[in-house]
Amino acid sequence: MIRAKGLSKRFGDNLAVDDVSLEVRQGEVFGFLGPNGAGKTTTVRMLTTLVAPTGGTAWVNGHQIGSADAQVRASVGLLTEAPGLYPRLTAVENLGIYAELHGVEDVPGQVRRYLTLLELWDRRDEPVGGFSKGMQQKLAIARALLHEPPALFLDEPTAALDPEAARVVRDFVDELRGEGRTIFLCTHNLDEADRLCDRVAVIRQRLIRVDTPANLRHGLYGRSVRVRLAKMTPALEDIVAALPFVRSVTPLESGLRVALDEPETHNPDLVRALVAAGAAVQYLEEEAHSLEQVYFDLMAESREAAA
Amino acid sequence: MNLSRIRVITRKEWLDMRKNKMVLGMMFLLPLVMVAMILGTAAAFRYAPEQVSDPLVPDGTPGLPPALAEMDTEDRTLALLNDQYMFYLLIIPVSLPVYIASYSIIGEKETRSLEPILATPISTSELLIGKILGAVLPAIVAAWVSYLLTAVGIYFLASRPVFLYLIRPIWTIGMLIHSPLFALISGAGGVIASSRVNDPRAAQQISALLLVPLIGASLLVLMGRVYLDTSTLLWVTPIIIALNAGILWLTVRIFQRETILTRWR
Repeated sequence: MIRAKGLSKRFGDNLAVDDVSLEVRQGEVFGFLGPNGAGKTTTVRMLTTLVAPTGGTAWVNGHQIGSADAQVRASVGLLTEAPGLYPRLTAVENLGIYAELHGVEDVPGQVRRYLTLLELWDRRDEPVGGFSKGMQQKLAIARALLHEPPALFLDEPTAALDPEAARVVRDFVDELRGEGRTIFLCTHNLDEADRLCDRVAVIRQRLIRVDTPANLRHGLYGRSVRVRLAKMTPALEDIVAALPFVRSVTPLESGLRVALDEPETHNPDLVRALVAAGAAVQYLEEEAHSLEQVYFDLMAESREAAA
Repeated sequence: MNLSRIRVITRKEWLDMRKNKMVLGMMFLLPLVMVAMILGTAAAFRYAPEQVSDPLVPDGTPGLPPALAEMDTEDRTLALLNDQYMFYLLIIPVSLPVYIASYSIIGEKETRSLEPILATPISTSELLIGKILGAVLPAIVAAWVSYLLTAVGIYFLASRPVFLYLIRPIWTIGMLIHSPLFALISGAGGVIASSRVNDPRAAQQISALLLVPLIGASLLVLMGRVYLDTSTLLWVTPIIIALNAGILWLTVRIFQRETILTRWR
């Protein structure tokens, strides 16, 4: 659906994007994470043919950028960082212009459909300059969807929105996933990426890592469980460390942190061993590493490598 | 080239213009002032001839065109005065588009709407032609309506010789053919300025410079250094059309979408 091969962009001396290769599958929500200036927006602009790459190429919905730009643009929807609406025009007028530019057959019907879907129909004849940020963002999303593109690029869709509006937008993106569209989501919001994305890519000019959020977490830290005990003794640490499936053990104030590969398989054996050793197991839970933690560690790793 | 996409952009420009009272006011003000000047002069000569100044060109002045020589001195003075104003009427479609067009790209950048619009299948030439027409067509309509009002007003306020002299083929050809052509040049100039600088005031100042050659040309005509007749006007038409084609090509050619999207702040 979206395939980039060695995509690079240089602005004068500044290398904004360096040799990015990635593949986004149909129907996938693909998160694109990175700090400001990492090249996220430039990558989106290259993939939507707004700027030309200085190296590499890409195919979007089967059309190659640089040689079939109009077809690429006809097959994608783009939500830019700012809504970019015409403030003096009404919601209907704003959407009507884009529907016509995309050659939508039933312009009034399609405009009505999306305004209704995003709960803006009652405000359809008001100038959008008076809309709240959340409403403007919803209208911009509607604009990106009017021509029913199979791929959607969302550049920071919830930035600058209050939590309530951000939630509405997130829920809508979640609904779009159910329609089988490919969604390329640039975001700073790691929690959002964790919740919405099937896979995420971390970029800092170069692509640092691409994987599912879960695999990123496990790949970086492995899996571990926290065992809470009524009474912790040093002997328990040795007994657990001797178990063949345990990779490491860290004593805690009221229990143990045990690193292992498959908690689903090995937790019962672990509990049995502890109970056999006379421990009173109060509870056991898998430790969760946030995507935020993964992100910061990957960034630190990338900075060190660059230095 | 997709004409329907050009039409969409032009209509969007008009919608926006219609809701911007300042631009709309400016659009009507200049033509109204011009028409009022011409008809006001004619009315003054008709209803208060004793108040108007001495005749500009007395009877028997050598070198007068026959149409003027045959008029009485009052009519001749009115015809000569208004003939100058008619030239200003011709300038309406040139002076208005440049100001409107000079905001066209900067305006999109200010509302941050350029990126979404460039992400549609529209081509650069379709976008820019749509914008130029959006600025030019209302000015042409304003000029034609002004010309029509002037003709009707002069018909009722002035004598038949004055009417025939003022509404003569040279002005009608100029209004129907040359004004739109110059308006296109003016609109394209405004779009060029708008796509090369990122400050609306700078764009308008640069655009204003485009009017300088035109004002110079009008001065030459008014001072009698250049005599415009119908054949001269028709003879220069292909040159103006070629100039139009050249400036349209240049407008599209120098539109740097990457620079506008990535460097303008």
